[in-house]
Amino acid sequence: MTAVDTPVEQTAPPSEQDIPRTARFFTLSNVSLLFIWAVLIAVFGLLTPETFLTTDTFRTVLAGQAITAIMALALLMPIAAAQFDLSIAGSMGLGIVLVATFMAKLELGVPLAIGLTLLSGVVIGLVNAFIVVGLRVNSFIATLGTGSILVAAIQWISGGQQIVAGIPQSFTDLGRHEVLGIPMSVVFMVLIAVVMWYVLELRQTGRYLYAIGSNTEAARLAGVRVNRLTTIALVVSGLIASAAGIVFVMRIGSASLDAGTPYLLPAFAAAFLGATQFRQGNVNVLGTLVAVYVLATGVKGVQLIGAPFWVDDLFNGAALIIAVALAVRSGRQKALV
Amino acid sequence: MAAHTEEAPLLRIAGLSKSFAGTRALTDVDLNLRAGEILGLVGQNGSGKSTLIKVLAGYHRPDPGATAVLAGEEFALGDAAGAADAGLRFVHQDLGLVPSLGALDNLALGRGYRRSRLGTISWRAEREAAVELLGQLGYRFDLTRPVGELRASERTGIAIARAVEGFTQGARVLVLDEPTASLPAAEADRLFEVVRRVNAAGVAIVYVSHRFQEIFELCDRVTVLKDGAHVATRDVPDLTEPGLVRLTIGRDLEGPSARHATAARSEEHDVALRLRGLVGEGIEPFDLEVARGEIVGVAGVTGSGRESLGRLAFGSLPRAGLVEVGSTAVTAGSPVASIAAGMAYVPADRLSNAAFVDMTLRENLTISRLRDVYGRRGLLRERERQETLRWLTDLEVKPCDPEARLATLSGGNQQKVMLARALRLGPAALVLDEPTQGVDVGAKRTIHDIVRRAAVDGAGVLVLATESEELLALCDRVAVMVAGRCIGVFATAGLTADDLTELTMGTAGTVADGTSEAPTDSVGAGSVGAGR
Repeated sequence: MTAVDTPVEQTAPPSEQDIPRTARFFTLSNVSLLFIWAVLIAVFGLLTPETFLTTDTFRTVLAGQAITAIMALALLMPIAAAQFDLSIAGSMGLGIVLVATFMAKLELGVPLAIGLTLLSGVVIGLVNAFIVVGLRVNSFIATLGTGSILVAAIQWISGGQQIVAGIPQSFTDLGRHEVLGIPMSVVFMVLIAVVMWYVLELRQTGRYLYAIGSNTEAARLAGVRVNRLTTIALVVSGLIASAAGIVFVMRIGSASLDAGTPYLLPAFAAAFLGATQFRQGNVNVLGTLVAVYVLATGVKGVQLIGAPFWVDDLFNGAALIIAVALAVRSGRQKALV
Repeated sequence: MAAHTEEAPLLRIAGLSKSFAGTRALTDVDLNLRAGEILGLVGQNGSGKSTLIKVLAGYHRPDPGATAVLAGEEFALGDAAGAADAGLRFVHQDLGLVPSLGALDNLALGRGYRRSRLGTISWRAEREAAVELLGQLGYRFDLTRPVGELRASERTGIAIARAVEGFTQGARVLVLDEPTASLPAAEADRLFEVVRRVNAAGVAIVYVSHRFQEIFELCDRVTVLKDGAHVATRDVPDLTEPGLVRLTIGRDLEGPSARHATAARSEEHDVALRLRGLVGEGIEPFDLEVARGEIVGVAGVTGSGRESLGRLAFGSLPRAGLVEVGSTAVTAGSPVASIAAGMAYVPADRLSNAAFVDMTLRENLTISRLRDVYGRRGLLRERERQETLRWLTDLEVKPCDPEARLATLSGGNQQKVMLARALRLGPAALVLDEPTQGVDVGAKRTIHDIVRRAAVDGAGVLVLATESEELLALCDRVAVMVAGRCIGVFATAGLTADDLTELTMGTAGTVADGTSEAPTDSVGAGSVGAGR
């Protein structure tokens, strides 16, 4: 009658809490990606020792995946708060076109061009936040829409033409620069990862974002400013995605128009696959980075064996589905998937 | 009605018992429903009304030995299809409508749409049938408008229409489970009209309610349950309201309101939480003061406004009126502002409103104020862990492990963590909404101790609860809400659970009238109510 039927007391399963903390971290399911990684390296090393286990391969994979990793990092704050940001591909694409246009056509200085391009990412994030928080449109739909609008903007600004000439030497030199033998793109990726790790793990903002993702209403009632934090998450993802665009131009030296899109799915695959690791069902920086490189190692290995070019897409698509299926099985990520 | 006393009943249930894991919810209950009558079914919370209805509807299987006969034919209890085939129809409390669909679609749910010859939905046939059906019940409204936008009584009407639609095919019993629980008084009258029309069409009705006035207004006979057993079945005209109360609570009415309506006024400077002219969802202007160190309860059945009072006070629902913590007015509509003003709130329905089940106990606890565990370089995990460990030890949470995930805890232990989250703020005013919902007996006692300790430490505590026993165990005073209004504030000393339950049923209005005033227009007078 009036009394609410409440669930029967569940007896807590004998679990986690009996295991010491460090040991708990290294349980198989929690770090399974590391084992898979080791197995991949061992298998491909045995199959193609002369090509796979070389520093060249190592460096190609490391540098080649830096932008994918940055894009995956861009997704972490929104996903932590149970929001999608599908517009990161568009933000990156716009970043590419803007930074090249600013430098090659408007002949702005490199710092100003970079600054204005990053600003575009912030603006995109604010627009997304307005639609999601202000207009209460589901973030999946909202960013699907803004993503398409961004594609239009890219075409309009570029006039449909790639920008290949006029990008200053000083800028592309930065992309070819190495620090202690590590390519600059990797350095940028590591910098972003460190800051993101700090914010997610050690700042109030990160804790609040995870709380919102876990139970939005509970977070609101616990005094978390849900709207403000959702806005921050979307602004940061836009900002990082436009930074990925800048790094792209730095590395490649030209601005192609549809360069952002191929990064979208690998970024989601890595973020979700990473969520199965280390932090028990929540997206996290370390898991994301490991996931990016496990996927890349797999793809590279199969390519060296002689698999066709489309194996890349096959791998990432399968990884995304498997990762989310694992998350669903473990009963987490309810809010999102 | 008394004429056909010995006539064979339309529906006869005999020897019905139901046990859940060793506890008896129903013991050897008999129920007889005559053709064409409206039978009231009353009883306190936990008397077995719900279980009885659920057995009838086939949701629960009864213990062996029960028999059920409808119109001379035996049918199996505990089988939903069997009950439906036999001709039983139910309108449950939550109605089971899809709010975003219109009446047409809601009526078609379950039975399927009428088809045209082409196999498409025949909207014209649907519309004509719906207009006729709802017209018979006296309704006329836009059939395509989402039912979520209709009035509460109209929604109930649609649910009833859907339930009785098949009556033309020989079905004949409609069971209404507390249909007025969340209905304003004016709309309840509208609903009675519908119930009478259905009844006039030859349908016998079982009407479950704990509002006794309704029984007297609507029913021919009434069956009383208490502690899972059948107490009595009487003709309503032979009963008085005090008589029915006596049957329901099993003892005489002594006018508890007259005895206990003392409602001590708190001293001005000692007020921890003041609600003045609070208006919002389901609540008419509500006034209450909670002094420092005092535990004040709010009693009320579901639909009385009690269930939204906590959220209104805390600002997570829109409100009008004044809320003060200490002597600071709190900005409306903002949990953040309420917390900053010194109010802490533990919501009802932990899993939806409070728990981060996939996060650790540490993260669940410290979220209420992270700056306590913050250093120059961010969160200090070790300090978090220490503080969490202190609370877990203090509140006897098992397991006592800050890094355990909340999901691995039992309900009682989860609730203790939710309380700790609020208590670590050192709140001046603590608002607890159903603090022991879904909690086992042992944990309940611990939680009560925790709440008392918080009051001793100087917090003013407001407890909103369904259970009379809980309120009496915890509180110094209890405000009683009936149909959105506070009918009085009563000292708990000497008050029994039955007294309180009876007050929440609203019947005691007649008793309390002599001693208490409705609190609607008490200007500036702090705690309201009774015994001025």
